[in-house]
Amino acid sequence: MIKNSYKLIGVLILIYSFVVGMIVPLTPGIVKISPQRANTGEKLTVQVKGYNTHFQQAASSLRAWLKLSEEYAIAGEVAEVQNDVDLVLRFQVPAFLPIADQVKETSLIMDNAIDGSSVLPSAIFISQDSVNITLGDELWRRTPIEHLSERTFTTFPFRNILQETIRNTYFHVSLWFAMMFLFIAAVWNAVAYLRKSNPFYDIRSVAFTQVGLFFGLLGVATGAIWAKYTWGAYWSWDVKQNTTAIALLIYFAYFVLRNSFNDSERKARISAVYSIFAFVALIVLIYIIPRMADSLHPGNGGNPAFGGEDLDNTMRMVFYPSIIGWTLFGVWMASLITRSEKLNEQLLELE
Amino acid sequence: MLLLKDLRLEWRQKYAVSGILLYVLSTVFVVYVAAGETTPEVWNSLFWIVSLFASVNAIVKSFVQENSARALYYYVLFNPIAVILSKIIYNFLLLFLLIVVAYGAFIFFIGNPILQFDLFFTALLLGSLGLSTALTFISAIASKANNSASLMAILAFPVIIPILLAVVQLSSYALQEVTMANTSSSIGNLIAIDLVLLAVSMPLFPYLWRD
Repeated sequence: MIKNSYKLIGVLILIYSFVVGMIVPLTPGIVKISPQRANTGEKLTVQVKGYNTHFQQAASSLRAWLKLSEEYAIAGEVAEVQNDVDLVLRFQVPAFLPIADQVKETSLIMDNAIDGSSVLPSAIFISQDSVNITLGDELWRRTPIEHLSERTFTTFPFRNILQETIRNTYFHVSLWFAMMFLFIAAVWNAVAYLRKSNPFYDIRSVAFTQVGLFFGLLGVATGAIWAKYTWGAYWSWDVKQNTTAIALLIYFAYFVLRNSFNDSERKARISAVYSIFAFVALIVLIYIIPRMADSLHPGNGGNPAFGGEDLDNTMRMVFYPSIIGWTLFGVWMASLITRSEKLNEQLLELE
Repeated sequence: MLLLKDLRLEWRQKYAVSGILLYVLSTVFVVYVAAGETTPEVWNSLFWIVSLFASVNAIVKSFVQENSARALYYYVLFNPIAVILSKIIYNFLLLFLLIVVAYGAFIFFIGNPILQFDLFFTALLLGSLGLSTALTFISAIASKANNSASLMAILAFPVIIPILLAVVQLSSYALQEVTMANTSSSIGNLIAIDLVLLAVSMPLFPYLWRD
């Protein structure tokens, strides 16, 4: 019972991460606004498109600012709430900017009692013809951003480029982690086989490699879907995509190698050697080569690392368990393959 | 001593080495006929493609050529580490010679876009060390299987691609007039890859050897 409890735990954790990962809503955010340019002194009318927002319910507490920097901001007023996600704002842009630049970008900040506050960076570019820093300084200090509300419900972070696909973290990234753990288990068993020459370790090593390769393929498939949404193509010849494809080729070659032996002892020994060698090549491919080139993946080539704001504590509560869940599930799959292979061998001996 | 044996064996079969050298020359010739005058970037990639195929061809026979009687003889006489080490050193010398000849042929037929010669030389040295280690080891694996030659290609290509990526990048830095900022880290990576491959193939080889 205790020996098999990991299967139950794995399945329960996976169910938990599916359910929570799919049900928890995204943080309310601003998807887009128009227009995105304005001149000083203009009476500006802005159409705002929100996401997951509750503009109608929270109509009485709606507030909005254009934020230029920490100390400079102007407040706007709500002209019309069309529905929960559409509204029109009106701003009186001051006659001067508090700085000497011709053009300056401002962020749109919105706040209400239900959704809390949300930000759209680089929302509106304001240009000025003449400069008057002292007057601008005074005009932009009149309506500071204060008393922001707290959000009233639990959410996952809202990212403009990711939106709902942020939930793919629990599949793409977790499957990838689980694959690494399974390959490590496969190498561990290959080493054990070389030391003890017990065929059981060979069967287990193959089983772990099979499940690991399967998880790797699933990881590439989920990654391709994600890439289609965020980068615009299923395959963009990103360095990590390439190294992954090669890494999977290495493991396909492993199975080709196994099939080219007749003698099972020799097959086990040589494929164990190749499996260790291939794993080292995999580590080089995944951890050394991508550092040498720019990648579209987070954490490479000037992209912010995944983590920090992208992976907040709510997501961690699902992300870490889902890694454990997938790993345990993979171990279960491998143990099923091991058992069926062992039975096959016994059957062959009986015949 | 084993190294000397390999060298002497190769000397006796002069036609094999000269065959590979001829192969390099004719590929370079074909490359020129097909591509004509090229940009430095294309030159770089063509150069490494030619070197790669020449190396695979050169090394594929390194274990396959040993017949089983001679293998048994070595098995009784020598430490397996000495065997793999001598093979790797011999193949390294062979590959380095091949790649230098290929470079010479490229200069002769197509031109020489290399501006930092010492850097390019480093890339050649480290690249042929990495390629010879990986290919020697893979050829030892493949020689144990039934259809060695085709298996060699299947097993080798995914494993040598990391080396090739690193070495192509390093030699692309050698095409620039100025030293790129991450040149030294790139050399460091290549050395790390070479060392890791050596460190893995040494302890694993005895298991392949025992038959």
